[in-house]
Amino acid sequence: MKLSFYPGCSLEGMAVDYARSIDAVFKALDIDLVEIDDWSCCGATAAHSLSEAMSVILPARNLSAAEQMGLDIVSPCANCFNRLRFSQQMIQKRVLDIPWPVTGDLKIHDMTRFLAEPPMIKKIEKRVLKPLKGLKLVCYYGCQMVRPPRITGYTDYENPQTLDRISAATGAQVIDWSYKATCCGASIGIARREIGDSLTKRLLDKARQAGAEAIVVSCPLCQSNLDMIQKGRLERPIPIFYFTELLRLSFSDRGNPKWFKTHFTNPVQLLKTKSLL
Amino acid sequence: MESYLKNPVGKVIVVGGGIGGIQCALDLADTGFYVYLIEKSHTLGGTMAQLDKTFPTNDCSTCMFSPKLVQVAGHANIEILTTSRILELNGDPGLFTAHIEKRARYINEEKCITCGKCAEKCPKKVPDPFNGELGMRKAAFLTFPQAVPLKYAIDAEHCLYLTKGKCGVCQKICPADAVEYDQKPERLEIDAGAVVISTGFGPALTAKEGEFGYGRYQNVVTSLQYERMLSATGPYEGHLKRPSDGKIPQNVAWIQCVMSRDPARNRPFCSSVCCMHAAKQAVLTRTHGPDTQTTIYFMDIRAHGKGFDDFVDRARSIHGVRYRRSMISQVYLNPENDNLIIETFDHHLNRKKEEEYDLVVLSSGFKPSDGFIDLSKQLGLVANPYGFLTTEFDEPVSTSRPGVFVCGGIESPKDIPETVIQAGAAAAEASILISEARHTETVVEETLEEKPIDAAPRVGVLVCHCGTNIAGVVDIQNVLEDVKRLPHVVFATDFIFTCSTETQQTIVDLIKKHRLNRVVVAACSPKTHEPLFQETLRDAGLNPYLFELASIRDQCSWVHGNNPEKATQKSKELIRASVARSIRLEPLYEKSYPVVNEGLVIGGGLAGMTAALTIADQGFHVHLVEKSDGLGGFAKNLKFTLEGHSPLRLIRYLIERVTHHPNISVYLNSTLVSHGGHLGAFNGTVEKKGERIDIQYGAVIVATGGRPYEPKEYLYGQDDRILTQVEFSKRLLDDPLWARQLKRIVMIQCVGSREPDFPYCSRVCCSAAVKNSLQLKEMNPGAQVVMLYRDVRTFGFKELYYFKARQKGVLFFRYIPEEKPLVYDDSGKLIVDFTDRSSHQDFCIEPDLVVLSEGIRPGEGAQQIARLLKLSTVDEGFFLEAHVKLRPVEFATSGVFLAGLAHSPRFIDESVTMAKSAGQQAMKVLCREKMTTSAAVAEVDAEKCAACLICVRVCPYGAPFINEKGVSEIPPSACMGCGICPSECPAKAIELKHSTDDQLLAKIDALLESAMKDD
Amino acid sequence: MNTLAEDQKSVNQPKPTKKRKLIGDRGDYFLNRIEGETGANVSACYQCERCTNACPVSHFMDIKPHQAVRYVQLGWREDLLKSSTIWVCLSCEMCTTYCPNEVGVAEVINHLRNIAAHSSITPKEKNLAVFHQTFLEVLRKSGRVNEFQLMNAYYLKPNILHEKIKSGSFKEELLLGLTLLRKGRLKPFTSRSKAIKDIQKAYIQARGEIV
Repeated sequence: MKLSFYPGCSLEGMAVDYARSIDAVFKALDIDLVEIDDWSCCGATAAHSLSEAMSVILPARNLSAAEQMGLDIVSPCANCFNRLRFSQQMIQKRVLDIPWPVTGDLKIHDMTRFLAEPPMIKKIEKRVLKPLKGLKLVCYYGCQMVRPPRITGYTDYENPQTLDRISAATGAQVIDWSYKATCCGASIGIARREIGDSLTKRLLDKARQAGAEAIVVSCPLCQSNLDMIQKGRLERPIPIFYFTELLRLSFSDRGNPKWFKTHFTNPVQLLKTKSLL
Repeated sequence: MESYLKNPVGKVIVVGGGIGGIQCALDLADTGFYVYLIEKSHTLGGTMAQLDKTFPTNDCSTCMFSPKLVQVAGHANIEILTTSRILELNGDPGLFTAHIEKRARYINEEKCITCGKCAEKCPKKVPDPFNGELGMRKAAFLTFPQAVPLKYAIDAEHCLYLTKGKCGVCQKICPADAVEYDQKPERLEIDAGAVVISTGFGPALTAKEGEFGYGRYQNVVTSLQYERMLSATGPYEGHLKRPSDGKIPQNVAWIQCVMSRDPARNRPFCSSVCCMHAAKQAVLTRTHGPDTQTTIYFMDIRAHGKGFDDFVDRARSIHGVRYRRSMISQVYLNPENDNLIIETFDHHLNRKKEEEYDLVVLSSGFKPSDGFIDLSKQLGLVANPYGFLTTEFDEPVSTSRPGVFVCGGIESPKDIPETVIQAGAAAAEASILISEARHTETVVEETLEEKPIDAAPRVGVLVCHCGTNIAGVVDIQNVLEDVKRLPHVVFATDFIFTCSTETQQTIVDLIKKHRLNRVVVAACSPKTHEPLFQETLRDAGLNPYLFELASIRDQCSWVHGNNPEKATQKSKELIRASVARSIRLEPLYEKSYPVVNEGLVIGGGLAGMTAALTIADQGFHVHLVEKSDGLGGFAKNLKFTLEGHSPLRLIRYLIERVTHHPNISVYLNSTLVSHGGHLGAFNGTVEKKGERIDIQYGAVIVATGGRPYEPKEYLYGQDDRILTQVEFSKRLLDDPLWARQLKRIVMIQCVGSREPDFPYCSRVCCSAAVKNSLQLKEMNPGAQVVMLYRDVRTFGFKELYYFKARQKGVLFFRYIPEEKPLVYDDSGKLIVDFTDRSSHQDFCIEPDLVVLSEGIRPGEGAQQIARLLKLSTVDEGFFLEAHVKLRPVEFATSGVFLAGLAHSPRFIDESVTMAKSAGQQAMKVLCREKMTTSAAVAEVDAEKCAACLICVRVCPYGAPFINEKGVSEIPPSACMGCGICPSECPAKAIELKHSTDDQLLAKIDALLESAMKDD
Repeated sequence: MNTLAEDQKSVNQPKPTKKRKLIGDRGDYFLNRIEGETGANVSACYQCERCTNACPVSHFMDIKPHQAVRYVQLGWREDLLKSSTIWVCLSCEMCTTYCPNEVGVAEVINHLRNIAAHSSITPKEKNLAVFHQTFLEVLRKSGRVNEFQLMNAYYLKPNILHEKIKSGSFKEELLLGLTLLRKGRLKPFTSRSKAIKDIQKAYIQARGEIV
C-alpha cells in the first residue's frame, strides 16, 4: 500500500518524536509513505486568520504536488489535515483561482482515521508483540481533527473513536472521558499565556479525574501544550504520547527509553512500573 | 360535504390506538358507526399510557385514561385489532377495502386468562421498551397492567423457543393452554366507508444522534424515560432514582429543544409540548423530593395554551423551579460520581460556570411514530418534509386522499386536549361522509326481561382468586367458610378468574339454580369490573342494581401482600360489609325519554357556523343564534394567515353554505333569553328584535367567540402612528403604496396578554406579528422590522415562519415585563426605547410606526350565556370545560358543548377543528331516538324539602331547580349521581338511589362489628 | 394632541442618564457583505447562546460570540473590528458545530479578523495579531515554518520582548527554549522549500482578494 505523506512543519521540529514513531510504525505495518515532493507549509491558523485566500492557496500547492504523484494523502497533524480538507473543499467549489494545477479529487486522510479502519485495526492487532496491559489512557483529539464536521467528515465529533480504537488495539486500557475534543488553546499561549494555560491545565485536571495515567494525542500542537505545561510540576505528571509512539512500543518486544527523551513529562518511569520498558 | 357516494358502508377504520385513535373510535361508535381500531403494538394506549401524571392538575395519567380504555374495550361497536397494520387500502370514499395483517401474538387472546404464569416462569429477560428500556421485562409479557386487551403476548424476537427452539416453559405451565408457538400472521380484509389515521408520534432522539451524551452517559435520559422513572408502574416503582447507581437525584436539569427548532439537524420545527412537559416534570420532581433542585435550560417558554403561563409561573414561584434562558451545547461527565456537568456562560460574573447535576433530562422533540413512512406510502398520503401529515387550515383533518382523515400527533406534535379535539373533528368528517349509513352496521344490544324475585334476600357470594393476585395472599378457603356463615348467604363459591368469559355463563346458571336475588363478587375493583358483572346479572334476568363488589384485590392482597393473615381478615370484613349492603339493595330502573333531534348553536362566527354545518351536514336541524346583524364573527377582519390562506374567503364560503342550508335556521340580531330542560330535551326562547321565538333542542354548542383587546398602553388611540396588528395587516393590503413607503417599524408583543390582570397568553399574536412582518418584507424588502417580544411562541410548524422572518432580516429583541419598551413622542418624532437582553444594550429607535400585538378577549355575549346556562368560566372570562385533558369541548353540564375562542385564544384551523369536534359530540345526543337516564340518581322528598336552595347552588351540573310546587326537583336526566346534594341537604330531603343512607349505614355497621368485638 | 398626550409624554420620557444606541439608517449593507463573503447565515440567529456557552474563551472576549452575531445583524462594524473577540477566538469551531441555525459563527469571526487585519484599526489584542503576522512572514521567507525562527522573529517584534521581560516570563521562556534545543525539538536551521518563489507570487496575487 502506498500513500503520499504530508508531514507538516512541526514534524521537522517540535514533533520529531512523532515523525520518528510514524516512520517506525508504517514500516512495521508495511505501508509505504512517500513524502510529498518539496511540500510547503499549509499556512496553519495564521493564514486562515489574516488572509482567507492564502489559507486556500497554500495547502493547494501541496494538493497539487500529491496529485502529480497520484497518491491519496495522509496527514499526521490535525491542523494540517483540517487546512488541506478546507482547501480541497474550496477548490472543488472553485471559489478562487489557484496558481497551481489542482482538481481536489484526491482523498485526504487524517492518520488516525486511516489506521482506525477495521482492516487496519486487525493488522495492528496482529502486529502487537507486547500488549500495553494496564496502561490507563484517555484519548485526546483536540479541535481541528474533528471540527467543523462539514470539513473533517467526523459525524461523531463529540465522541470520536479513532484514537480510542487504535489505543485499544495496543492492549492499553482506554478510558472514556468527556473532554476528547475540548480546545487546548492552540497557539494562543505564545501571545496570551494565561488563556492558553488555563485551558491546558483544565484538560490535565479532567484527565486525572478520569483516572488516566497518560494522554494519547495525534496533534503536535496539542502534544506540546499538554506536555510543556507540566514542566517542573511534580503532582501526578501525565505523560503525553503520540498514538504512534504507543503503537511503536507495542510493536517491539523491548522498547527503548531513548524514544521518549524529547518529552518534558518523562513517561519512562510510568512505563517501567507497568513493565512495558 | 354530503356523501357523494351511493350506499356508503357504515364502518370506519381508525389506525392507531393511542388517545387520539381511542377518542375518535368512541366518537364514531357513539354516533352510530361500527369501528375497527387498528393498533400495531400489543395494546392500546400509545404515548399517553406511558405518562405518569398530566398537568395542570397533576392527575395520574393512567387513572384518567384507564376508564377510556375500559370503555373502548367494552364497546359493542368497536372491534380492536392489535398487532395489526394496514397493508393496502383500495376503493374510494364510502367504500374502501383494507388489507390488514395481524401479526402473531403467540398467545391465544381468547384463551388467555391473564394469570401471569408465563411471564413469571419465562427465563428470558428483555429491556422493557414500554419503560424506555430502563427496566427489564420477560419475553412473555403484558405491556402494562391496564393493557387492552388485557392478554399476555410473546416477544418473538427474544423468546428462546421462537429464536432457538429451546425452552417452551410457558406452554407447559399455561393453565389455559393458550400458548401457541405456531401462530402465523393472519391476513384480513375489511370494508369501511372512511379511514382515520391517528398513529401518533415518538421521541425523535435516539442514541445514534449522541446529542448531550444520550446513549453515552447513563444519567442522561429523555423526557419520556423520565416519565417512566416517575411512574408508580415504571422501572423504579415510582421511587425517583437515577439509572447509573440508584442514587436519589438531588439536582436535576432539563434541556429543552433537543431535536426541535434545530434547522441544522433538519428539524426546524417546534415540538409544541416539551415546554409544558418539562415544567410539569420539574414540579413533580419537586413534590417527589422537596429538596431536589430543578433547573430548566430553555430559549423561549412556549406556554401558549389555556392556563399554561399560570402553571409555569407557579412552577417558578411556588415550586421553586429554576429557569435559565441559555441553551446548552454539550453535557460533560464527572467520572468520579457519574454526575453530569453543564457549562454555561455567566454574564453577571463574566466567566464560565460549571454546574453539576445528578441527572439530565432531554426534552426530546417528536417525530412520526415508527413505521409511519411505510404506512403513508401504502395509503398514498402526502406527508410534509418532516414526515407529518399536515393539513389545510379550512380542512384541518383531511389528508391528501379523500375519505382518509387524520388526527393527533401525526398531524403535528400536540398535547392531549388538542389531540382529543382533533380526534372529534376527524370523527365528524368521517361521520359526515358516510352519514347515510348511520346505524346500518351497529350492533344493538337486546334487553332481557327481568324475572320476578323472592321477597327474602338470597345472597350469592363469588370469591375470585384473580390467578395468584388474590389467592397468593388471601386464604380463600378460610374466607369462604366465614362467608357461608353470614346471614342470608345461600350460596358461596370461588373461581380462578371470575371475570373470564366462560365463568359468566356459569354465574348465570348459578343465579338461576339457587334463585339468587343478590350477588356479591369479592374480587378486583368495581371501577373496572362492576359493569361486566352487572351485564351478567342482566343476562340471568336479575336487576343489575342488585350487585355488589368487594374489592379484596386492590384493598387487601395488593396493599397487604406482606401480611397474608391480616389481608385474609380484612377480606372477610369487606365481604361481610358488602353482603350487609347487598341485602338492602333494591332493584332500580333506568328511565328513557325521547330526544329532540335538533341542535342549538350560540354564535354565528367561524366556530359557530362550522359547528352548525357539522350537524346539519349529517342530516339534523340546527338553530343558529347570532346577536349581531351578520354572520362571520371576528374572523371577517382577518385578511390572510401565516401560511398564506384567506380566512375571509373561508368565512364567505361558510356564510353562503349556512344561509342556504336546508337544515339550518339562522336567527340574526337575536339572543337566547331563556333556557331550560336537560340533556336531549332542552327548551329555550330566542329574542329577535323584540319578537320571542320558542325553540326546542337536544344539545347546545356555545361558540360566543372572542374579540381583540383594545390597548390602553403605548400611546394607542392618542397617536395615529400606533396601530394594532389587525389594523396593520388590513392597511398593508388596502394601501400597498403606504406599505412601500415605510422605512422602519417596531412591533411590540404581549400587549394586553400575560399581564397581572389578564395572565393568559393569546397564543396567536407571535404568529400574527411574524405573518405581518413577512408580508411587509415581501412588499417592501428594505423596510426594517424590529420586533420586541417576551417569548417567541411560534409553536409547531409555525416555527418555520419565524425562521423565515429572521432570514428576511426581521430583528427580534427580547424585553422583560419589568422593563417594558417606552414609546413616546419627542417633538413630533415617534421614539421607542428598549433594552436588549442578549447584547445588554439600551436602544433607541425612531420608527414610522409602532404596531401593537393586541391580545384576545372573550366575546361580549359570553357572560350572559354563562349566567343563563349556568356555565363556569375562568378568571379571564373564557368558558371552563368539563375536563382540561379528556373533555375539552364539553361542559360539566350534559348536552352543552364548547367551541372556538369562547374556550381560549386559538388559531383559525384550531377553531374549525374544535367546532367540528363539538358538533360531533352534540351528534352523540342528536342521533339517538331516546336517552336513558341512570337509575343511581338523587331524588328529592318533596315533603321534607324546605326550598333552601342549597342543592341548587352546590350542584356542579345545574340539575336541581325549584318547581312550580315551590320545592326542589332533580330531573333524573340531568343528575350525574355525584352525591353532593344529598350530603349537603340540611333537611335530609335528598336521597341518592343505590347509595342510600340505609345501605351505607348497614355497610359501616358490618365493618364496625368486628371492631366492637375486639374491644 | 392635547394635555392628556402631554401628561403621557412626561410619564413616558426616558431617564436622560441612560446612554442609548441608535438603530440607524445604515441598512443591511454590512450584514449582506458578511453573509455574502462567508456564506454564513447570520440573519438566522435566534440568540440561544449555544455558541457563547460552548466557547472555551468567551470570558476573555469583550463581545461574546452570540453578541457578535447580533452586532453583525445591526451593522456595527467598528465595534466588532475593535473588539478583542476577533483576536481571542481560537477557531476551535465549537460555536459553528453546535449552532442550530448553521450561522457559522467561527467563520464570521474569522472573516472579521481578516477584515480587521486589512484595515487601519489597531487590533485590541495586538500581540495575537503580531504573532499571526510573524508566522506568515516566516512562511513567506522559507516556505516552511521553523518554530525556532518563528519564535526569534516574534520576540524581535516591537514591544514583545519588552513586555515579556516586564512580566517576568522572559527568563522562563528562554530556559524553555534552551531545553527544547537540547532535546532536539527546536532546530536552528531548516530545510527550505524550493517553492518560495511560487509562494511569494501567490502572496502578491492574493492581495487582490476581496478582504
